[in-house]
Amino acid sequence: MDPVKIIEIKENVFADNDAQAERLRKELKSQKTFLLNLMSSPGSGKTTTLLKTVESLKERLRIGVMEADIDSAVDAETMARTGVRTIQLHTGGMCHLDAGMTKQGLQELSIEDLDLAILENVGNLVCPAEFDTGAVKNVMILSVPEGHDKPLKYPLIFTVCDALIINKIDVLPYFDFDMEKVKEYALMRNPKLKIFPISAKTGEGVEAWTEWLHQTVTEWIE
Amino acid sequence: MHEVGIISAMLKTLERVMEEEGLTHVEKVVLEVGELSGVVPHYMEECFPAAIYKTPFEDLKMEIIPGMIQCLDCEAEFPVRNEELKCPECGSDKIKPAGGTGFIIKEIYGS
Repeated sequence: MDPVKIIEIKENVFADNDAQAERLRKELKSQKTFLLNLMSSPGSGKTTTLLKTVESLKERLRIGVMEADIDSAVDAETMARTGVRTIQLHTGGMCHLDAGMTKQGLQELSIEDLDLAILENVGNLVCPAEFDTGAVKNVMILSVPEGHDKPLKYPLIFTVCDALIINKIDVLPYFDFDMEKVKEYALMRNPKLKIFPISAKTGEGVEAWTEWLHQTVTEWIE
Repeated sequence: MHEVGIISAMLKTLERVMEEEGLTHVEKVVLEVGELSGVVPHYMEECFPAAIYKTPFEDLKMEIIPGMIQCLDCEAEFPVRNEELKCPECGSDKIKPAGGTGFIIKEIYGS
């Protein structure tokens, strides 16, 4: 048998997924479609936020939505009522989507005629942060009841996101949620993070978020 | 479940490296796992046998060493300690995992 060699690799564990994600981003750029990866914990109001976002932008952008869940089609049925094209992706027990699964989903959604494809990732602050889906921008939603210490507890997701939506600000008076602290902690992990405090329920703050998204999408597809 | 997905991602990268290096067998892989990576080394080890079951890597051994983090202010790199996440050089608390997610295949033993 050949002698054992020690080979220094120094390569990210996710190198292959990262390369696949990079290829997917190039394809998206050439066909002028923007992919948004939306991440959050379960119950942060992701679907409600998405409904508001789609309502606000659907006259200006051609939008499609992929709902990723471990099981069920509840979210896809809700989203389909807005009239935008929606598909449900089942991860079959996996806690995240990788670039390969995302690409398959985009093929199923059929994005040739879309400006904006939105991936609602599995509700989870850990796993989706590790796997680059090939999205142009990553956005996460943190809701007030979850507490302002989350950037300290789940640092990775804050470092991979471009924007942070802080949802459910309408219930701020009932929780010990410190808005200044959460901003400080989040910016500590990621100084470039854009932060949008909103209430998807009342609509407060939603416009600032959708305008940022609209502008970001427009810059990409132009 | 999470850790199994990560090990599968790692095995894909290993397969490519084996091809590049002309290896037919890898007996050990050394991983650097950082504090910010969201991975619990203990769970990685627990689920490792299940993750490599019925793959070409069934006799693979895995060693996990602490990952490095990098200071965003002075760019110093340092290993993770369990206490505070602060730069030992300049004291800044603005840090990020070195090498992306802070989860790196450091080296492999193969033939």
